[in-house]
Amino acid sequence: MASVSASHLILFIASMMIAASVAGVFTNSIGQLSGALSEQGLDVSSDVRTDVEIISDSGSDAIYDNNGNGNITLLIKNTGTETLAVDPGVMDILVNGQFATTYEVSRVEGSGSWRQGEVVRVEIDPPQDSLNGDVRVQVTINGDEEVLEFRA
Amino acid sequence: MGFSVSGSAALIFVAAFIGFGMFYTATANSFEQINDARDAQADTTLEQQNTDITVRDVTYNTAPSPDDYVNVTVENVGSTELSVADVDVLIDNEYRTGYRSAVEDDTSTELWLPQETLELNVTVSESTTPTRLKVVTGPGVSVTEVI
Repeated sequence: MASVSASHLILFIASMMIAASVAGVFTNSIGQLSGALSEQGLDVSSDVRTDVEIISDSGSDAIYDNNGNGNITLLIKNTGTETLAVDPGVMDILVNGQFATTYEVSRVEGSGSWRQGEVVRVEIDPPQDSLNGDVRVQVTINGDEEVLEFRA
Repeated sequence: MGFSVSGSAALIFVAAFIGFGMFYTATANSFEQINDARDAQADTTLEQQNTDITVRDVTYNTAPSPDDYVNVTVENVGSTELSVADVDVLIDNEYRTGYRSAVEDDTSTELWLPQETLELNVTVSESTTPTRLKVVTGPGVSVTEVI
C-alpha cells in the first residue's frame, strides 16, 4: 500500500512540474509578445502623428546653389502633432532617386526639439556631382513622404 | 491521480489567466494610443482643409528709411483661427525672422482670426530686389506671390 502512495506522490510531483514548466513558458511567451505589441503600438502612433511639409518656394531659383557650394536647401515645417528631434537620423533623403548621406539639420530660429509649427533647415550635399534640369527631392520622416520638385 | 490532474489544471488555468491579463493590457493600450493618434491626425487634417489665406497686397519700398522693406497684407479667408507665431515668411526662398506683424492694426495679438488681415513688414537687403514671396500658416497652407 505504501508503494502505491509513493508512486502516486511521484506522479503528482512530476505532473505539477510539467504543468509549472508549461505555464512558465506560456506566460513568458505572452509577456514577450505583449512587450513587442506595446512597442509596435507606440511606433504606429508616432508614425500616424508625424506630418511634415516642405515649405521651400520651388518657384524661386534659390533652392539649389548652382554657383556656390552646390547644396540644396530645404525648409521643412512640422505640421503634425509629434515632436521630432533636430537630427539627421530622423529623416531619409533621396535626390533624383539617389540616397543622400551628407546633410545637416538645424532649427531656423531658437533651439531645442522640432515641435509642431516649427521649421528646420536641411542643407543637403547632393550625391550627384552636379544637378541640371528638373530635380526631385524626397524626404521621408517616420513613414511620411514629402516630395519637392524644382529646376536646378 | 485525481489530485495531479486538478492540480496541473489549476496551474495552467492560473497561467492562462495571467497571460490573458498581460496580453489584454498591451493590446488595449496600443489600440488606445493608435486611436488617439488617428483622432489627432483627423483634427489636423480638418484644420488644414478649413484653412485658406490670400494675399491682398504686396509692396516693395525703397523709401528713405534706413533699410528697404516689403509690406504684405494677407487675409485669413478660411474658417480656422491661426497663430501669428506659426506664420513663416520666405522671401526668395530665404526664411525671414524678426519681421513686424499686426492683425487689424493690433501688434500685441497672437491670434489671426477668420476674415482678419495680417500685415507683415519685412526688412530686406538693399543690394538685391526681392522677387518672390511665400507666406506659410501653422497648418502648412501657403500662398506665393510675385513682388
